[in-house]
Amino acid sequence: MSEGTARTRGPHIAKQLIVYASLIVICAVVLYPVLLVCKKAFEPGRHFALSPSPIPKDVTLDHFRDLFGSRGSHGELLFLRHTLNSVVVALSTTIVGVVLSCTAAYALSRFRFPGRAAGLTSFLVVQMFPATLLLLPLYVILDKLGLLNSLVGLVLVYSTTAIPFCVWTLKGYFDTLPRELEEAARIDGASQWMIFRKIILPLTRPGIAVTALFSFMTAWNEFIMASTFMTDESKYTLPVLIQSSVGQFSSDWGLFAAGAIVTSVPVMVAFYVLQKYLVGGLTAGAVKG
Amino acid sequence: MSESSYTRVPVLQRQLRDFGVGAILAILIATIAFVAVRNTELAARQIGLAKRAALALANRQAPVPTVQTVLVSAPVASKKHAYLHQRQIKTSLQPQWLPLVADPDRPEHKLYYDAANRFDRDHVLAELMRDGTGRAVAAELACDMKQTTECPIAIAITAPARPAPYPFLVLIGVLGLGAAIAAAGALVSRRAARVGLFAGIAALAVPTMLWHAWIGTTAILIVAASFALAQRALLTDRIARSLHEHRTAFAFLAPAGVSMFVLVAAPFVIGLFMGFYEHRSGTWQFVGLHNFLEILSGGGRELDDPLNFWFTLGVTVLWTLANVVLHVTIGIALALVLSKKWLRGRGVWRMLLILPWAIPNYITALMWKGMFDKQFGALNQLFDYVGLDSVSWFTTWANSFGPNVATNTWLGFPFMMVVAIGALETIPRELYEAASVDGASRWQQFRHITLPHLRPALGPAVALGSIWTFNMFNVIFLVSGGKPNNSTNILVTDAYRWAFERGERYGMAAAYGTVIFLILLLWTVFGTRIVRRKEAT
Repeated sequence: MSEGTARTRGPHIAKQLIVYASLIVICAVVLYPVLLVCKKAFEPGRHFALSPSPIPKDVTLDHFRDLFGSRGSHGELLFLRHTLNSVVVALSTTIVGVVLSCTAAYALSRFRFPGRAAGLTSFLVVQMFPATLLLLPLYVILDKLGLLNSLVGLVLVYSTTAIPFCVWTLKGYFDTLPRELEEAARIDGASQWMIFRKIILPLTRPGIAVTALFSFMTAWNEFIMASTFMTDESKYTLPVLIQSSVGQFSSDWGLFAAGAIVTSVPVMVAFYVLQKYLVGGLTAGAVKG
Repeated sequence: MSESSYTRVPVLQRQLRDFGVGAILAILIATIAFVAVRNTELAARQIGLAKRAALALANRQAPVPTVQTVLVSAPVASKKHAYLHQRQIKTSLQPQWLPLVADPDRPEHKLYYDAANRFDRDHVLAELMRDGTGRAVAAELACDMKQTTECPIAIAITAPARPAPYPFLVLIGVLGLGAAIAAAGALVSRRAARVGLFAGIAALAVPTMLWHAWIGTTAILIVAASFALAQRALLTDRIARSLHEHRTAFAFLAPAGVSMFVLVAAPFVIGLFMGFYEHRSGTWQFVGLHNFLEILSGGGRELDDPLNFWFTLGVTVLWTLANVVLHVTIGIALALVLSKKWLRGRGVWRMLLILPWAIPNYITALMWKGMFDKQFGALNQLFDYVGLDSVSWFTTWANSFGPNVATNTWLGFPFMMVVAIGALETIPRELYEAASVDGASRWQQFRHITLPHLRPALGPAVALGSIWTFNMFNVIFLVSGGKPNNSTNILVTDAYRWAFERGERYGMAAAYGTVIFLILLLWTVFGTRIVRRKEAT
């Protein structure tokens, strides 16, 4: 009994201090690079200043102005154009990826049919072929389909990269839902599609949220394929722009930092909103086995 | 028994069903064969034409019709500005030498100029232009007996050529013929039905035979034979019945399945085949296992040469191992701390520690690259601050590999941490209470309660994490970039360089991809087996 109360009160104060101190150190290591980027975004000059302090001496909005004001060869506003491209591509990827993996994961979780095991394995195996080496064959296929240099092609490629992981995560989630619900509904005469839409999907919301986040990040963060398939400057996505700002020949860290902040903030917000689902969503299937 | 299941489905319906599926496959193969043959044939014809025309001009023979030919002189110093080198051009329309300059009215001048430069560099030039017009360009030296200066170059550019149109009519004709043969066979007898099915599908091999597409022809014949055999073994019936029985499941699976097939499985198979070819300036040549032998033998390089496959594999394994071990230990340690009930502000700590996961990984990589900058980087300044010597990052293997691992550890541990937190939440508290009543030490509790409960969740996470790390292109490519001297490349970045930075050796890069895939496949098959055996004991 005394052991039980000691547990809720916690261990000796010195031990607690050590834990808090090491947490502070680790958080400092985690935050330091991020703070440096924030500092650079508001500090004048193309290079990092010669001081390790994460607090800027002068504050300027020049980098953001440069970023939003950058113009392409035809005088169009490049950054806004690329942001729009990225938003369109990422949202479409999310929708396509989630819809396709929801139905597939449901089939793999609920039905027993020949080829099920093979299907599950193949969703895992395709992750092993390095995406960068699918570049060339994909280039040929997109070219034949007339989808090179088009955002539609990019959406298709990104959705198929996102689907395997989403299918596995969602299947784990579906596995944890009790089958009795569906059986009851079936007795009441509901069709399979009705059951899926009216009963299963609403219960899977946390899992879908996590899946959507990952699909979104797949598209939002990718630059190699985007820079290979898009030949037209106005079709680039944000990562291509940001990555080229610190290229081999000229590097403008101020522009990079401003771009990095603008690009990362939406993902971070989504992460924190969905944080509570993240913990359960990822492990639901695995724990069940 | 076989008699009864034969009659269950109407004979003709069954025959046409089997023929239909087989024919779709055969037409797919024929189309691929057609596209491949049409393009290589076109390229060979155009290049041959250009070569002939260039040679004819060089030898002063009759010109080849439809091919434009010009003579371009060797570069000579301009009279006005001696540092400017200029070429001159002579065509059949204008028999005196004129300077070859950029002229908006004659865009072909630029083509001639580039071709002459390339010919000077490589001493041979005969290839398809890469602008998609189907034109070919070739060059030859056109030396003259009384020539006193350097020989001019004869350059020939063929007319644009569109590849032949898709032969719809031929294929529809053969399809009808094949269907008729198959139906006729089915109406005669059971044995004739199989022969008819084979003959009907094989009819689609006739066009590919006429195009001399032998691989395609063989593939179609194999499809035809396997359909006939499958029908004999009642396999087609069984598959059809199974498809019908499980139609809801397949309907749910179909959208994802089809798109995965087109955009993942197809490129994957194409990639596997590309490994057997060698790519040189726009043309592909079948080389069998040559690429694989070159990879596995290290290409005749010493073992400590960074371009040797085994060296890169060693680096990759070390890279994966270091990262996964760091991710898992840091992740578990933090998860254990964060799940302590007495810890204040658990939500805030967790939010801060998840941060690296939320930042796009290419931004993380570039951010850390900036921190490791020799002059402006924050790390050297921190070293300076505490009185250490600054380090010239990315000059030795160790001080490039270190930053790579540091970057990837920073961005990768939150995933393991979140998985571990989730798994820890599922452990019933009573287990610990019972254990401490029995006098188990902290370490024993961790070893016998915590770890076994973490394993089912962490096992798949580690498997997935090791695959991701093994193929982690962005960090290596953006942080060290393989510096110094390619020695910190891992297999994926090395393969990328074979494709895009070392003379477009696409075949070699694809062979690397296949090897990477096989390594990971072996690792998952044996890795999961080991994990399972441990769980069983």
